[in-house]
Amino acid sequence: MSEQATLERRYRRLLACYPRAFRRENEEEILAVLLACAQDGQQRPGLAASADLIKGAMRAWLRPAPGQPRNVRMAIRLMYAGVAAHLAALVTVVATTGSVRSAVARGYPGLAAAQNSVSVNLVIDYVGLSIGIIVWLVLTWALVRGRAWARIATAGYFVSMTLSMLISVGGGSAVYAPADLSVGAVVWLIALAACVLLFTRTSGRFYCPQPRAVTPWHGTFGRL
Amino acid sequence: MTARAMQEATYLILTALASGSQHGYGIIADVSEISGGRVQLRPGTLYTALDRLRTDGLIAVDREEIVGNRLRRYYMLTTEGERRLADEAARLHANAIAALRRLRPDLAAGLA
Repeated sequence: MSEQATLERRYRRLLACYPRAFRRENEEEILAVLLACAQDGQQRPGLAASADLIKGAMRAWLRPAPGQPRNVRMAIRLMYAGVAAHLAALVTVVATTGSVRSAVARGYPGLAAAQNSVSVNLVIDYVGLSIGIIVWLVLTWALVRGRAWARIATAGYFVSMTLSMLISVGGGSAVYAPADLSVGAVVWLIALAACVLLFTRTSGRFYCPQPRAVTPWHGTFGRL
Repeated sequence: MTARAMQEATYLILTALASGSQHGYGIIADVSEISGGRVQLRPGTLYTALDRLRTDGLIAVDREEIVGNRLRRYYMLTTEGERRLADEAARLHANAIAALRRLRPDLAAGLA
C-alpha cells in the first residue's frame, strides 16, 4: 500500500498544475484512473503519463471561458504568442551573452568602458524582458477572465511600448541590431493586433456587458 | 455553430458513450477497443476532453459511485451530444465514400 501512497502523492503533485476549478471537479477521479492504470509496484509516474498530464493542464489553462467571443479568443492567443516571443528573446540573449562579450573584447581590446556598457545593457535586457513576460502573463490572465480593466491596461501598455520604441529609435541613443529590431517589431505587431481585436464590438460586450433594464447596476462591473 | 471537424479523441469518446454510460477507465478501455488498439487515451487527455465536453453540453454525469474509497463517475451522452456524434459520423462516412469511389469504385458501390 505504501507504494501506491507514494505514487498517489507524486500524481497529486503533477495534478497541482491544473487550474483549481478543474481539480476540484476532477482530481479524485483522474487519480482513481491513474492508479487503476498503474502497474504493480509502480512508484513513479511514467514519462508519457506525466507529459500527458502537463499537456492536459496547459489545455485546461488555455481553454476559453464559456461565452468568450472569437475575437477575444484570438486576442488571448496573440497574448500567449507575445509571451512566447519575449521568452524566445530572453533565451537568445542569455544564450548569446558569451559571444557578445567576446566580440566586444575583440573589437575594443583593453577598453573596459565598452565591456562595462555591454554588461549594463545585458542586465537591462534581462530585467526588461523578464518584466515584459510578467506583464504579458498578468494581462493575459485577466483578459481570459473577462476583467474590464485588463483591456484598458493592454491598450495602455501598447501605447507606452510604441512611445518608448519611437523615442529610442528616433533619439538614436541605441544602435539596434537587426535581430533586436525584428523581435521588437514582432512583439509590437502582436500587441497591435491583440488591441484591435480586444476593442471590437463583440469583445466590448464580453468585457463591459450592457446593463439590463431590469437590473441596471448589474453587469457594469464586468463579468463575474 | 461552425461545422468544424471533431478531433478523433473526442469522436471516439462520444462513440464509447453512445451505447450507454461509462466511467473514465471504461472509456479508455472502450476507445482502445473501438480503434482496434490504435488510440490509447491517457487520463490527462481524457479528463481534459470530458471536462470540455461537459462544458459544451455534449455529455453529462449520469451517476457517481464510490468504489474502494475512490470516486467513480459515469458519463452519458446528452441529446446534443448524440446529434453532434451522428452529424460527425455522417460527415466521415460521406468523406470515406467519396475517397473510395475514386480509389475503388467496386467497393464504394456496396458501402454507399
